[in-house]
Amino acid sequence: MNKNGNIIELKNIETMYEGEHLPVIYGIDLTIKYGEFVSIIGPNGAGKTTLLETINGLLPYSGGKGLVFGKEIPKSKSEIRKEIGYVIQNFEIDPLSPFVCKDIVMSGRTGKIGTFRFASKKDWDKVWYGMSLVGMIDFADRPIGKLSGGEFQKILLARALAQQPRLLLLDEPFSNLDLSSRVQIETLLNRIHERHKITIILVSHELKFVPMHCSRVIVMNKGKIVMDGKKENILKSDILSTIFNGNGRKK
Amino acid sequence: MIELPFVLLITAILGAILAGFACSTMGVFVVRMNLSSIGYLMSHAAFAGAAFGLVISIDPTIGALFFSFVTALALGPLAEKARLQSNIMIGFLFSFMMALAFIFLSFVPGQIASGKALRILWGSIFSVTYDDILLLSLLSIILTLFIIVFYKELISVMFHKKLAEASGVNTKLFYFAVLFLTGFAVSLSLRIVGGLLVFALIINPTSTAYQFFYDFKKIMVFSPTIGIISCLVGFYLSLVTNFPIGASIVIISALFFAVAIVISPKRKKGNGGRKNLVQKSSVEPVR
Repeated sequence: MNKNGNIIELKNIETMYEGEHLPVIYGIDLTIKYGEFVSIIGPNGAGKTTLLETINGLLPYSGGKGLVFGKEIPKSKSEIRKEIGYVIQNFEIDPLSPFVCKDIVMSGRTGKIGTFRFASKKDWDKVWYGMSLVGMIDFADRPIGKLSGGEFQKILLARALAQQPRLLLLDEPFSNLDLSSRVQIETLLNRIHERHKITIILVSHELKFVPMHCSRVIVMNKGKIVMDGKKENILKSDILSTIFNGNGRKK
Repeated sequence: MIELPFVLLITAILGAILAGFACSTMGVFVVRMNLSSIGYLMSHAAFAGAAFGLVISIDPTIGALFFSFVTALALGPLAEKARLQSNIMIGFLFSFMMALAFIFLSFVPGQIASGKALRILWGSIFSVTYDDILLLSLLSIILTLFIIVFYKELISVMFHKKLAEASGVNTKLFYFAVLFLTGFAVSLSLRIVGGLLVFALIINPTSTAYQFFYDFKKIMVFSPTIGIISCLVGFYLSLVTNFPIGASIVIISALFFAVAIVISPKRKKGNGGRKNLVQKSSVEPVR
């Protein structure tokens, strides 16, 4: 954490993909305080995932300056990543993937354990804890490729939680979940946020997926932050209907 | 049955065991990364190196090892730099090595010399030297240590590179290391089973292990075990029938694979199959 209590400080950030001439996100000025629960919403292609991957250094920014935990992202990215739990936007899992769930959850702790070190009992305890939090403890020895989309999403969340992160980046975490699983995960996120004071940034392309306890909403469109404020104020705004063309609005 | 001097027999058996271990251990990664053609590439890199050795009048084996070493080292960074899948880069390097081999051979007069280079492609277990055994033993120890020490990093990278990177793993380093060690295991095994057949020793034991398990750890144990057994049984078959050693090993490993497909629990439906998927959890939920 920074002296001023900011966990993330982005100043005029611009991120461009290799070989491209136009930045995917630009002019990003964003400050997130330690312990905040923020939702980033926007239509497909707004630059939400790019912003998340700029924060954890997976994508190097091409302009501006970015600090996470008070450290410059490009210089300390491996160190920063050990403290960031990342749930990637859902990807196709090979049904024959030769891994069992517990090993995938443990893989979240790889960076934290460190090179030349073996997973200890304490590390495994974190794995069981993460899996039990998302209600997947009975799936420990199940092949990862045999899970449903929702179960797989929960394992990815358990993987991020087992890491014991200070910052949790969730990219469309509800995309494959049915209503009951979504409520369960949302409740879980609220509980984690309240109890452990983990800073959570959740990305979604639908307004209805903004969790109840989320206090701040950032709206992105065409690579820029167009709105940033309290959830109540943002969700009432008329600009949203222009951006989303009326789709996805919470009823 | 062929009668062999005891020392030659022991050297050959040791060579077969070590080649079986090295190739089928790295085969687990090759199959996972879908890089089966790496066997072709390394054998032809060795072929080009052997031809180069003949051109500059050094031992073709030294040339073969040198070319294999450089190719294995360059493969990962080249694919990364070109932003292409490793498999595409393997295709590029394969044709490049073939072309080099033919150019080098055009400088070597006479069929006997060319035959020396071609021997690299076919291999012979009876030409295994003490140095080969020493190198293969060293490589086997390195592979074992590499997998034990970096097991958690390897699992992470093999599952999903981006997620591994996001949790603080140096994915490039481990990816390149796997490619390099695979290339090196192939090149050292060439003299034993031959370049064209070493490929089967990488793929077949792992594919057999894949028929039984979903757990990477179990595949990591069973693939080399099957590889070693294939080599030993293949070796015995070769002695009994006078079949070429490489071909015998491939036949045996292919047979194992065929049997595994038939008896694989992964294809069973009903209780038997479910038992393998749903394991009982011995861990109490943490409240």
